[in-house]
Amino acid sequence: MSVIDLNSMAEAQAADRQEINERLQRLREEVSDHCYQCGKCTSGCEAHKLLELEPHRIVALLKKGLIDELVNSDIIWTCMSCFKCKERCPQKVAPVNILFALKNLAVASGKQIPGDFTAMLQSAMEKGLIQDVQQVNTRAGETRTREQMGLSPCSKPEDPEKFQMTIMTVAMEKV
Amino acid sequence: MARYALFPGCVMSTEQYGYEVSLKTVLPVLGVEIVDLEGFSCCGEPLKSINQMLTLTLSARNIAICEKEGLDILAPCPLCHLALSETKRILDNDPKMRERAASSLANEELKYRGTSKIYHIIDLLHDIIGLEAVKEKVVRPLSGLNFATHYGCHLIRPSEMGRPVDSENPQKMERILEVLGAGSAHYPEKPDCCGGPLLPVHPETSLTKTGQKLKAVQDQGFSGMSLCCPWCHKMFDSKQKKAGETVGAKLNVPVLYITQLVGLAFGIDPGKLGLELNLSPVDRILGGQEEAGA
Ligand code: SF4
Ligand code: SF4
Repeated sequence: MSVIDLNSMAEAQAADRQEINERLQRLREEVSDHCYQCGKCTSGCEAHKLLELEPHRIVALLKKGLIDELVNSDIIWTCMSCFKCKERCPQKVAPVNILFALKNLAVASGKQIPGDFTAMLQSAMEKGLIQDVQQVNTRAGETRTREQMGLSPCSKPEDPEKFQMTIMTVAMEKV
Repeated sequence: MARYALFPGCVMSTEQYGYEVSLKTVLPVLGVEIVDLEGFSCCGEPLKSINQMLTLTLSARNIAICEKEGLDILAPCPLCHLALSETKRILDNDPKMRERAASSLANEELKYRGTSKIYHIIDLLHDIIGLEAVKEKVVRPLSGLNFATHYGCHLIRPSEMGRPVDSENPQKMERILEVLGAGSAHYPEKPDCCGGPLLPVHPETSLTKTGQKLKAVQDQGFSGMSLCCPWCHKMFDSKQKKAGETVGAKLNVPVLYITQLVGLAFGIDPGKLGLELNLSPVDRILGGQEEAGA
């Protein structure tokens, strides 16, 4: 197995859905007890001004149990995972973790993975790294390889097939 | 000589060679041996939005590779450092998760033991090698230079995960720069994100974030920016020109890895610090430094 079919992986991940759902339910109980909608998370949110992400609203929608709506919304993919919301919440709520769980659920539900994430995932599963080794430019407009920089070859999984097995057990695990 | 396994991560090892070259040049001068190992993969942090179990499994296998050699780990990338640290925290405290990781790792005959510690370059320079030992090697102080420091979100937050530096006002890079002879004034945008994590989904907005921070640094008259994250360097240095276009500014901010600055202050030839790969105008720093050293 050299090329991994991401669609079949999404199907295999169906088993994961229940687990992520449970994770979200746990998060929901936590936020219901603690979040008092002060909005501090949103005021410092890196994605708020440019992309209109409002972490306090994500928390409010989760509180109401509107998980499907959240999973189907593009807004969950605007989070920059800067962790400011988690750091600054006076109630120790972590909107960033809610967003990770929502995105995980979107993927496990077979929704299309947006942007370059697909390529990164595909590369990681096939070769172990999210991108290939590159030839880079110098300021003077020349090119350099790792080798030309005096660096040893890039470290990668030694047996790609066994490595893929490691990863696929995660994707297909029944919980 | 203290020995550490270098966990290179994807970005440094596939494109940010200046970081790897400079740390491999500088650390041995400070009595630290860096060991390359075979078999590593992505740490999983960039794929956390896809599947958090995948992140845990990938990090666990990378830690296991270092543990097999009995080495503590140097993870120069803040994302890798966070993923490995978080995984270690989970596996050391949750027997069920540890069992699950064990069954995945068995495919490659790897085993997580929990014996290796995980460090970032800032820990190493500031706390383990120590400022005094760094200071002793300085032969060409970076006098007259004033750097805006940028740590990278994943190095400073979440503090709950035991990050190497303070989450609101980190100071360790400032102290390192101080012993190198350079200044580092505070600026309000210091804790802000480079925009990098948004690159896969919203590339334009991602570059706008980069441009906004660089413009703030430029407007406040800093000599340059000092950082310790390959993702941030990719944004602030490699993509500086494009970032400038998104905010309608002509940006000219020299951006250097802290390891490159340490090397320069040690009088090491810029060619051994990968400085030809910085695309931002670092010649200004090199020129000034040569004068100061002359
Ligand atoms: S900062 Fe915390 S308590 Fe306030 S709205 Fe956000 S999640 Fe709720
Ligand atoms: S982690 Fe995401 S939601 Fe939280 S402040 Fe940063 S960008 Fe906003």
